[in-house]
Amino acid sequence: MNFRLLAMLFVVSALFFTACGEDEDPVTPTPEPVDESTIILRENITSDATWESDKIYVLGSRITVESGATLTIQPGTVIKAEAGTGANATALLVARGGTLIAEGTADAPIIFTSIADEITPEQVAGGDFASPNLDPDINGLWGGVIVLGNATISASNDNDEDLSEVQIEGIPSTDTNGLYGGNDDGDNSGVISHISIRHGGANIGAGNEINGLTLGGVGSATTINNVEVVANQDDGIEWFGGTVDVNNVVVWNAGDDAIDTDQSWGGTLDNFFVVTPIGSCFELDGPEGSYVARQTIKNGTVVAGIFELNEDDELELVTGATGLLIDTDENTPLDMSNVHFVGPFVDGQDVTDDELQNTTFTDITFDIDPANLVDLMEKGEVPAGISAGGAPVADKSGLGWTWASIRGGLDGL
Amino acid sequence: MRQLLTILFVLTALFATAQNGTIRGTVIEDESGFTVIGANVLVKDSDRGTVTDLDGQFSISIAPGTYSIQISYIGFQTLTVSDVEVVAGEVNALGEIRLGDDTKQLQEVVVTGKAIRTTEAALMTIKKKAPAMLDGISSARMQLTGDATAVEAAKRVTGVSIEGGKYVYVRGLGDRYSKTTLNGVDIPGLDPDRNTIQMDIFPTSLIDNLVVSKNFTADMPADFTGGLLNIETKDFPEEKLVSASVSLGYNPQMNLTNDFLTYDGGDTDFLGFDDGSRALPNGAGSANIPTPISGNSSEEVGRFIRSFNPELGARRETSFLDYSASVSLANQLTLDNEKEGKLGYILSLSYRNDYTYYDDVFYGEYQRVTDPADYELIYANDQFGQLGEQSILIGGLAGLAYKTQYSKYRLTAMRLQNGEKRAGQFVIDNNGDAIGQSGFIALSDNLEYNQRSLTNFLLNGTHVLGDKGWEVDWRTAATLSTSDDPDIRKTAFTVSPVDTNFVAGAGGNPSRIWRYLDEVNLVGKVDVTKQYTFRGEDARFKFGGAYTFKERDYEILFYDIQFFGGSTSFDPIPNDVLVNENLFPTGNIYYQSGNNIPNPNQYNSTVSNTGLYVSNEADLFPGLKTIIGVRAENYVQRHTGRDQRFSSGDPGGNNLENETVLDDLDFFPSVNLIYSIQEEQNLRAAYSRTIARPSFKELSFAQILDPVTNRIFNGSLFSLGNWDGNLVATRIDNIDLRWELFMEGGQIFSISGFYKRFDQPIELVRLPQAATSAEFQPRNVGDGQLFGLEFEVRKSLNFISPALTDFSFSGNVTVVESQIDMTDAEFNNRQLFEREGQTIENTRQMAGQAPYVINAGLTYGNRDKGIDAGLFYNVKGETLQIVGTGLYPDVYFQPFHSLNFSFNKKLGAEQNTSLDFGVNNILNDEVESFYQSFEATPQVFNRVNPGVSVSVGISHKF
Repeated sequence: MNFRLLAMLFVVSALFFTACGEDEDPVTPTPEPVDESTIILRENITSDATWESDKIYVLGSRITVESGATLTIQPGTVIKAEAGTGANATALLVARGGTLIAEGTADAPIIFTSIADEITPEQVAGGDFASPNLDPDINGLWGGVIVLGNATISASNDNDEDLSEVQIEGIPSTDTNGLYGGNDDGDNSGVISHISIRHGGANIGAGNEINGLTLGGVGSATTINNVEVVANQDDGIEWFGGTVDVNNVVVWNAGDDAIDTDQSWGGTLDNFFVVTPIGSCFELDGPEGSYVARQTIKNGTVVAGIFELNEDDELELVTGATGLLIDTDENTPLDMSNVHFVGPFVDGQDVTDDELQNTTFTDITFDIDPANLVDLMEKGEVPAGISAGGAPVADKSGLGWTWASIRGGLDGL
Repeated sequence: MRQLLTILFVLTALFATAQNGTIRGTVIEDESGFTVIGANVLVKDSDRGTVTDLDGQFSISIAPGTYSIQISYIGFQTLTVSDVEVVAGEVNALGEIRLGDDTKQLQEVVVTGKAIRTTEAALMTIKKKAPAMLDGISSARMQLTGDATAVEAAKRVTGVSIEGGKYVYVRGLGDRYSKTTLNGVDIPGLDPDRNTIQMDIFPTSLIDNLVVSKNFTADMPADFTGGLLNIETKDFPEEKLVSASVSLGYNPQMNLTNDFLTYDGGDTDFLGFDDGSRALPNGAGSANIPTPISGNSSEEVGRFIRSFNPELGARRETSFLDYSASVSLANQLTLDNEKEGKLGYILSLSYRNDYTYYDDVFYGEYQRVTDPADYELIYANDQFGQLGEQSILIGGLAGLAYKTQYSKYRLTAMRLQNGEKRAGQFVIDNNGDAIGQSGFIALSDNLEYNQRSLTNFLLNGTHVLGDKGWEVDWRTAATLSTSDDPDIRKTAFTVSPVDTNFVAGAGGNPSRIWRYLDEVNLVGKVDVTKQYTFRGEDARFKFGGAYTFKERDYEILFYDIQFFGGSTSFDPIPNDVLVNENLFPTGNIYYQSGNNIPNPNQYNSTVSNTGLYVSNEADLFPGLKTIIGVRAENYVQRHTGRDQRFSSGDPGGNNLENETVLDDLDFFPSVNLIYSIQEEQNLRAAYSRTIARPSFKELSFAQILDPVTNRIFNGSLFSLGNWDGNLVATRIDNIDLRWELFMEGGQIFSISGFYKRFDQPIELVRLPQAATSAEFQPRNVGDGQLFGLEFEVRKSLNFISPALTDFSFSGNVTVVESQIDMTDAEFNNRQLFEREGQTIENTRQMAGQAPYVINAGLTYGNRDKGIDAGLFYNVKGETLQIVGTGLYPDVYFQPFHSLNFSFNKKLGAEQNTSLDFGVNNILNDEVESFYQSFEATPQVFNRVNPGVSVSVGISHKF
């Protein structure tokens, strides 16, 4: 009996072993296209590289331009990203010390989009910058573009060197290329000009999405202008501290906030359009540490929502902000001037109720009956510098290359 | 197996027709508690007699009548048990018969057949004579306290506290330092995040006793420091036992309420497992799942999306009463062969169904503010609502034993199955003014199912080599455990005055998660004991070895709802989301995978641990027993897994293919001294070295997002900041002292003191650079130490008045002072958020270490009236639950004052029917944890109200 029981036990044990060894889902490698004009990228960029305008570059994962390397993207280049969410999200990350020269032109912008987009370099070269198959409200198909630098941030963290640096949201801390912040306010991360970032913003855990363009601790020597973000599932552009200025911007159909600032960004946003974000139009936060810098936002036109009349002849939001028109913290050091909000507005599209201790408004206008202006103010009073009336103020003359402009999203503005 | 069963039934039939009755008993040495092998047992005035076997047991078949039994053994006083009744076809089990030393009393001792039995006292004898300091609880006491599962029973043991309703902490040390074995062998854990075993899965009806050893001797595994808890499953009775019990429980908040939250789930939920309703849809595990942009046809995409279970919302229904039932069948038969072999069997089954409903659950997240003069905390995220949980626990145990005089074989098989179905509805209030928070209101429905099982086979043999003093015990065991969370669904509508919809940057898109954990343990173990005489006293030399192999597989899969264009507005009704008109291609909803292939959230780990030991127990000086031993363990851990970077195709990422991540050879010395001050007093002192090793996932490049807490776990092998990526095991030096006084009838008084020093303890460190997410990494932190005192008393109240003879008081108190040196990172981080007037020290208490644990009980027991009753109190002091980091303050678990009453009345002439009544949480206390910061009002991290519950039960022995 003894022997038989032993044998039985070992048979049972063996069964368990084999049961555990089996893998339910066999690993199927992603098929690599043979097309020579398509280059699939899976490894980080550790030495200088150039992406050429006659090819399609596919981001197969989170591709990092590491410190010391320069990535040059020729005007008219199309970059497509594989699909994914969570840890699987694809992105282009420029680490501290890395340089991105993405200098498109109004005739040949650089386009970041999803692998699902059928847009081709030939099409771009031919002057057609619109997606042939994807609507401009399809979001979350990939991550986004993240630029990190060594400029000062106001984060509640010190390390041994008494230098403020933190990990950018969306990148796990185990990837130290995701660290940003330093003490070089004149830091230079390169040139970003005439780029259109589309259909991104994949989320990688609650509160951890990738913005269309993320700027973490980017220094003032960096040149950023003529940027379009279309249908990003998270924010359009988000700054985390730093000193970089950004001009000529279109944020269209952002899935969350359009313009988002944190950790006391100390630069200027000049001449911009915000059209129908789903979150807030402006989500402007102040310092998280002892360092304080002032941000300037000027010359902008904002469309909070697109409406239609329903059968009861009431205005109904078709798409647009479900958050606030302007959301600041009490301590946000902000000078906002010459910004017009196109009406109408629905209940809930309001200006923050925070006590504004460090914010100035100049020539901020809302397209609303003056008698109803106070209804937009959560605090129940109209701050100085805000008035009813006005007209669109941003200059769209240099933004004709954007998809928003091409599809008529800027018409009448 | 079938053959064995057949034999069993044939034998049962044979013996049922026999005319004789049977007398059984166990002979033990009163002094030492050891069983007496080879004692002569004679039935006076008859020709019947036998000798005791290796368990000290005997069995005599004899014609009906009333007999006296005489037991004798050389060197011991002869004992006669009188008035032993034998009825045809029945067994009279005498229980333990204690033989005293013949030097004290020369005349023969006579006891009557009814007065011998006492289970709790037997445990006391073990405790008194054991080489290690130990405490325990017997099945008799579990029945009295009315505890349903092992975790509830364990908290009655001195120095034991319970964490999270599932985990046993001994002397307040965290689960990393406690170890649980089943019948003396390692079994797999059921929690991916803990090193220990979830104890709520063991029904007390299958347990014979729980014993906690608080110091190490060389014959034990070396990887425990607080305590080694061993669960002994029920063995074979001396007499035929057929019993059944049922019980009902009622809690006004949880049972028979129309508000109870649940969801449909599957048809076999009542059996504790899922019927496939929550299975991963076909093809969802592949690298490229069908989406609108995957290249699949619209039909394929539509079909795939529709293969996900569309139920996303919790619903309310009326809950029933808690109920449970169990049956046991056991017997022992004497075979009529020349060896007089005995065959025993036990079959036991139990079923429980419990409802838990919290109508006011609160989970908070609070921050400090940047201004050091502002002490108050602000909320970052509050989550409150209701949570319903239905738990099914099924346990089955089957055992077979065969025994001859000098050999015993035991085979047991156990299967535990547990399913916990949870449904919650919450309001989430996120504060945009808090750092790193975007600010939103969301309505969230959470559906979860946790399915656990444990299957254990044990084969055990014990052999005594004649009268030469050799004993060999070998055992081999295989255990498979699984803990799966199939299809955790979270659906949170972001609500604003403008619209209700899904916002990725706020409440998030609806998500679902599958999590799988499997572990198998194989153990082989041999212990050899040689009894000899040293300077005229009994001495024992023991040696042996053990080999343990463990293999764990772990995987998490994530899926998110995405909208292919447009933002859709919804009424906040979760079950209206996955309806046909909303699903691609009719609508725009599709599922996107969050999984890389290969998956960084998947790993496989193995451990091979080979241990050898020698130990010697001898009275080196009169009255001073010494047990000196050393154990060697070679521990090899291998890991297969990778990080995100490698998973996404970058060969520069980290990948381990069955690579050795730990290979340690350690020697663990132990010295135990037991000095008998007087007959009933011991003074004990012990020193030992033990170890706490990193868990499977800690030695890895794993990057695991916990779906429930949203925390990210990073394996220790990543070198980050000033951490070098080299995690080592923690070595612990333990010193213990104990004075104990044993009195009649199981009364005891003892005082213990202990000191432990931790070399490079491992803690989960929150990464300070992760500003917007909670990321953790296990690291060796600064050295730690702790001092503790323990008191235990168990005393009859007859010293106050003879009228109180039936009352007794039992209580134990453990007080611990622990201290750990902070890492520089933690200290700097704390200093950064130093409040005005605060001074930050660079030491703190150890996480999870309770400063005190108190257990007290007042019991009444009257055997003649068949009444047992007790009032039991349990509390542990304010305990550091989560170590804060700068912005986020420390979280402390608040004392929960648990006061329970139980009453048991046995009915009938034979007292075969037993009625039970119990009240739990009489004080109606709440379970709470608070954020605490200097001069700040404490804020709630976690709060639930378990309410007062009552239970009634009936059990009967046939």
